[in-house]
Amino acid sequence: MTGQTPERIGARTTLQKLLSRFHFGITLFAVALSGLTILLAGVTALRGYADRNIELAAQLGAYGVEPALVFNDPQAAREGIEPLTRIPGIARLRVVDDRGQPLVQWTSPTADPAPHLSRFFFPHPFAVKVERNGSTIGAVEVWGDSSTLVDYVRLGLLAGLGCLLITALGTIFLARRFEYELVKPLNEIATVAHDVRLHRRFDKRVKGLGIAELDRLGGDINALLDELQGWQGHMESEKAVLAHRASHDALTTLPNRESFDQRLAQRIAAAAAQDDRFALMFIDADNFKAANDNFGHAAGDAVLVAMSQCIKDTLGHNDFAARIGGDEFIVIVDRLHAGTATDELARRIRDCVAQPVALPGGETYRASVSVGVAVYPDDGSDATALLTAADAAMYADKLSSRSRK
Amino acid sequence: MLASLFLIGASMTTPQMSVQTASQTIVEDSSDGMARAVNRMTGGIISYARWPNHTADSARTMCVIGTPRLTNRLVPDVPGSGTVLVRRMGAAAVIGRTDCDILFLGRTTVADRRQLIAWVRGRPVLTMTDDDAQCISGAMFCLMERGTSLSFSVNLDAIARGPLRIDPRVLSIARNDGATP
Repeated sequence: MTGQTPERIGARTTLQKLLSRFHFGITLFAVALSGLTILLAGVTALRGYADRNIELAAQLGAYGVEPALVFNDPQAAREGIEPLTRIPGIARLRVVDDRGQPLVQWTSPTADPAPHLSRFFFPHPFAVKVERNGSTIGAVEVWGDSSTLVDYVRLGLLAGLGCLLITALGTIFLARRFEYELVKPLNEIATVAHDVRLHRRFDKRVKGLGIAELDRLGGDINALLDELQGWQGHMESEKAVLAHRASHDALTTLPNRESFDQRLAQRIAAAAAQDDRFALMFIDADNFKAANDNFGHAAGDAVLVAMSQCIKDTLGHNDFAARIGGDEFIVIVDRLHAGTATDELARRIRDCVAQPVALPGGETYRASVSVGVAVYPDDGSDATALLTAADAAMYADKLSSRSRK
Repeated sequence: MLASLFLIGASMTTPQMSVQTASQTIVEDSSDGMARAVNRMTGGIISYARWPNHTADSARTMCVIGTPRLTNRLVPDVPGSGTVLVRRMGAAAVIGRTDCDILFLGRTTVADRRQLIAWVRGRPVLTMTDDDAQCISGAMFCLMERGTSLSFSVNLDAIARGPLRIDPRVLSIARNDGATP
């Protein structure tokens, strides 16, 4: 189950990648849009300036070539337009006289970088009429070229590329930031959910995350975990009760036959492994049937409870007592040091049981028990043999006590 | 005293320093080509001159002394509005009048020329000649034939001496002969 998780993450995209992609897309769009707007606005403005530049150049030329036109002097006209040839963005110049005959013309020695663009932006030459005392004596014609525009567009594109680079870097930074701000809290929730599912850690809770939506999610998860924890606790106690009921006798609260069988098997295995010794003590009430018949079942129950209490009181901490039948009890006596220890225990149980028991009917009853002991491994090395030996010992004791009476 | 000083100065100054020549109008290859070229050139020069009492389209009087060498049909062709009245007269007659705005000196005696140039000094009168290729006689503008074309020179000293204002563009198109010291 755990091995599946990373594989799933690899197969799908992560939140960071998703955010990064969105960021990049949005920023790219914004940069492209603003860049295009600025470029277009710039080209428009620059075109306006270029137009004005050429117009001014033409007017300057008109002023300069005026006397040349008056005197029809090509050399002077050439000198008149000479300052214009040093102005960038002019492709061609021409001075024509009043009859439209060209007096002088000049073409820029530098090639136009984009002739189509020039044709698009400057389809017609700027023509400025040269007037003398109110009559037209000629004109200066100026053709612009797109070199300044091309320079601007080139610069604009370069700047755009730079912006894109910055955008990419910024996007990575923002995505990292987002990962920190958003993915980390989400991971925290996921970790808690994972812990709960895998390790049954119902006490784990999602901490405050500082983001309203995630906090709400965390709060809901915490409430769910509260409920789960409640159910879990309830189930655990229910299970414990059921387990106790299954392994214990309801009347005396001593373990029942099943749990005794389990315990004995464990004890034999442990003793066999450690080369240990223990005793099995079979306790049976004498004439219990008669007491039951004479005083009623309630009285019998009271006697049994008293007997079980005597056995519990007598036993040591590690000893194990069980009720395996109607009036039959059995004890596993641990830490068996000497054979006399079991005799001493049997004597103390007998003394205790011999105390008068107050019956529900108001009478008192003195019970007596027969006790049989079997020792592992002396009297048997498996459960059946030990039980048989203890049972036999108990019967022997019963017979001898009967004969004593 | 001042006049004699000037004369000494004028004779001492090299012509190249004060005279600018301009290669000019291509003369059309027809019978009256030269006349048209001369009229255009004189008209152009007149249009760039400013008299102190200048008004927008006041007519100017051109007094022609002697015989013009280049054409005998001298009618200055002023661009745009503006007319020029042409009168032929002797040197003595000029000095007695006050309405000569322009003096055109054709072929004439050296004495007459000197007298007229001396008379012009300090007066708002534009002087032109076609009989002084070196342009050292004291006229402001000197027209000359150069092969197939007509050209003019400017005597800057003569212009500087008078109250007449000449548009500097006319002076600037008259190139220096290249003999600047």
